[in-house]
Amino acid sequence: MWEQQLVNAISLGSVYALFALGFTLVFGVLGVINLSHGGIFMWGAYTSLALVTWFSMPLWIAFPAGMLCAGCLGLLIDILILKPLRNRQANHLMPMIATIGATILMTSLAQGVFGADNQRYPANLFPDLEFQWGETRLTLLQISITVLSLLLTAVMVWMLKRTRMGLALRAIAESRQTSALLGIPVERLFHMTSFMAAALGGAAGILIGLSFNAISPFMGQSMLHKGIAAVILGGLGDVRGAVLGGFFLGASEVFAVTFLSSDYRDAFSFGLLFLMLLWRPQGLFGTGKLREG
Amino acid sequence: MDWVSWWNAYSDIILGIGINGLLALSIYLTLSCGLLTLANAAFMGIGAYAGALVSMQTSWPFSVALFVATSLPATAAILIGIPLLRLTGVYLAMATLGFGEVVRIILLNMDITGGALGLNGIPPLTQWWHVLGTLILTVLLVVALKKSKMGRAFEAIREDETAARLMGIHTDRIKLFAFVLGAAIAGLAGGLSAHYTFTLSPGNFGFEAAVDILTMAVLGGIGGVPGPLMGAAILTILPELLRGLQDYRMAANGLILVMVVLFLPGGLWQPGRFRKRMSC
Amino acid sequence: MNIKTSCRLLMAGLLPLFFFSLAHAADIKIGVAEALTGPASQYGIPIRNGFELAADEINAQGGIHGVPIQLVVEDERGKKEEAINVYKKLAFRDKVLMIFGPTLSNSMFAAGPIANAAHFVAFGTSNTATGITDMGPYTFRSSPMESDVVPVTLKSAISHLHIRTAGIIYGNDDAFTKSGYDVFRKSLEDQHMVIAGTETYSRGDVDFKPQLTKLMALHPDAIICPCLSEEGANIMLQARSLGMKQPFIGGNGFNSPQLIQNAGKAAEGTIVGSPWFSDNPSPENQHFISAYRKKYGTPPNQFSAQSYDALYIVADALNHIALSGNLNSDRQSLRDALPKTTHIGATGKFAFRPAHGQDKKPAGYDADQLPFVYVIKNGQFVLMK
Repeated sequence: MWEQQLVNAISLGSVYALFALGFTLVFGVLGVINLSHGGIFMWGAYTSLALVTWFSMPLWIAFPAGMLCAGCLGLLIDILILKPLRNRQANHLMPMIATIGATILMTSLAQGVFGADNQRYPANLFPDLEFQWGETRLTLLQISITVLSLLLTAVMVWMLKRTRMGLALRAIAESRQTSALLGIPVERLFHMTSFMAAALGGAAGILIGLSFNAISPFMGQSMLHKGIAAVILGGLGDVRGAVLGGFFLGASEVFAVTFLSSDYRDAFSFGLLFLMLLWRPQGLFGTGKLREG
Repeated sequence: MDWVSWWNAYSDIILGIGINGLLALSIYLTLSCGLLTLANAAFMGIGAYAGALVSMQTSWPFSVALFVATSLPATAAILIGIPLLRLTGVYLAMATLGFGEVVRIILLNMDITGGALGLNGIPPLTQWWHVLGTLILTVLLVVALKKSKMGRAFEAIREDETAARLMGIHTDRIKLFAFVLGAAIAGLAGGLSAHYTFTLSPGNFGFEAAVDILTMAVLGGIGGVPGPLMGAAILTILPELLRGLQDYRMAANGLILVMVVLFLPGGLWQPGRFRKRMSC
Repeated sequence: MNIKTSCRLLMAGLLPLFFFSLAHAADIKIGVAEALTGPASQYGIPIRNGFELAADEINAQGGIHGVPIQLVVEDERGKKEEAINVYKKLAFRDKVLMIFGPTLSNSMFAAGPIANAAHFVAFGTSNTATGITDMGPYTFRSSPMESDVVPVTLKSAISHLHIRTAGIIYGNDDAFTKSGYDVFRKSLEDQHMVIAGTETYSRGDVDFKPQLTKLMALHPDAIICPCLSEEGANIMLQARSLGMKQPFIGGNGFNSPQLIQNAGKAAEGTIVGSPWFSDNPSPENQHFISAYRKKYGTPPNQFSAQSYDALYIVADALNHIALSGNLNSDRQSLRDALPKTTHIGATGKFAFRPAHGQDKKPAGYDADQLPFVYVIKNGQFVLMK
């Protein structure tokens, strides 16, 4: 049973990690909590589902296309909502409240378009391969999800550390004004960040949809709460922290079920979030800045 | 339409405005110190359950139930407020959100609270004048507070906490006071609402409820006491007016929230603006 | 905009609310308060569809003594406060004869007292929790209680499969699944079954593997899953991918073609008890299924079958009374006529049964219907004999 629970923890954790990655990136660079990340996550799942079911596209097209759509949605939110607030130098609560509004809007639209029922990808969309050691089972899907989210994380970390764009992003995280003075196109990089973060969120949505067969207008909300917990655990704004936080959260949930009781699965993760903020607001791994890459 | 059936049809909306007004004022207190806390729904839940359990399990009078509904959340607020209010900004918001979820899950897993089925058959003791009286008293209290030294301290903290502390304001104590008073008002609102809706369940006090309370205060604006009350009234009546929109009813809610933040950053109630417009 | 115009606008917005009740006096108005938006709308919408289909059919055949039935449909969003609002709106502003709904048992607990205080019928078609009809003599339901269905299901599962131990997984933050769990646990104890382990999940959860892995290690003979079909299908799929082979036993929520559609092979061997049997060959049921498919393009589920029948039950009662035009006395005579009404519809034979009530207080009426027990074989619901 332990091996199986470990497998469960890793595959759950990798989706949390992917979701948290985009969420933390926006905070690190733009300095705002984008609470519409859950809504973007949900729309990413729905767009690729629509491509697969309505236009019978193969998954390898629908997946990047879904990410692209989610990215555009994130860009749209940045341009329509976050940018005016930035220009006004609004209080940090304002983006939170506005993105809550955007989430309500997105949820309601998804419900109008797709209905309130759970939707799922057609069976056998993904090869149904299975590996087994003794009692422990591992599907190709689980492996792919874990590999894919680790890969996307590695790309992000590499981008932040090794590219000119990453350097610029880290400079912006350090000081927006100075970066602007240095000639860094701050506004364009904000758009870029929102786009990338949303695309990652969309990818997490598609993967959740593939592995757990449940796409619904309300899937974003519980994921958002988990994502917040993961990001706080790892340290807000810290890219590696978000990923580790995601895995840590996945593991702690699975082991809360194993050792304690499933009644308190969610209470455990939120309690962890709560205690972490009291003990180390900067998170387990973070220093609260993107400069750590 | 005669008065009785008019009252039957609309009493819930009117009492709802009163209860929501109290909730909006409860978050207004912390917002006017510049603190975004999302725990008010949880405090309301604690108050509602505590008050309802007193009425259902004991033969104590309604006033005792309301007293418990007010004091228990206030006590909880003191206990979590002391460590929590060291946090600022988004960290405080996230921590209070986590606290709210933990409260909801605990309510869900306790036997005395009835779990997912919640409490049913709470005696309907709340009369319209209980709500009106509480609202008037709370408004008077908040207005008096705003005019006092305490109110100026709130403003100083909101503008610049460090400066306020340097000026000799006990910022920690003042913030805790606002947080605890807000919790007490939210708890009282919960106690009152539990005794007119007959039923309670943990789902009523989750994240959505916290967001609803926040929305009311933001829509109305935190420039003065009328703001949150206006926000509460509008958001209580709006769903009734938007019935025709069916599936897209919630979309209107979300859109309003976005629009207010973008185009009316101070909320609907801005005393200065009204005065200027009225004079010309 | 100054204050004066703001006030005028507000008044203009509110006025229609006050005078809404003046329109439509001739039709027989029946209120429908169901969750049409929000998560509960996946039950509320099929329920409304069932009512509308039945209303169309009844009106096409001349209505009640030549007077058409007019449904006044309102969205209660699956929330208790909204259910109360909607009930009051329908009862006092629209002045409907009676109200169907709300969708969830929890909302019925909130709205039911209004009906009993104002003396009109509150008729639930999807509320299966215990205690609903104890609220007062004006509460009716056509949905058999889980406590009537589950013992029958379990008994035939035990006798066919010789199971002795069971693991349970259910949603502990939802009134429907929680009360389903309570009934199952009591029924398991009554029939001397061993409960190997109990696991829970919460609304919106999609990953059930940690809980299932834990149950799997206890090697129960069967998995009891008082869940709704959506979560149920995912739980089955995840259980099979973990290598669990146990049959599932479910409650009211499992009775939907969607379960088989979504879970596919994973649903094989599942045992369900339910008042509606989709493959029931009776002419009433076959007519209902084809009419529903024609009108909505999707197969009906249990919830739409129950609401479809419920409107016919009320129509039967209305056919036996003469409406006077006085709202209060008409509401009362409908209330008095309903208990005697029997009907054969999509869900089979139906009659009301007086509820026991707590402390001998007057109570309402429950459904007196025998459940079907069936097992899923080769992607079909097959009756268990």
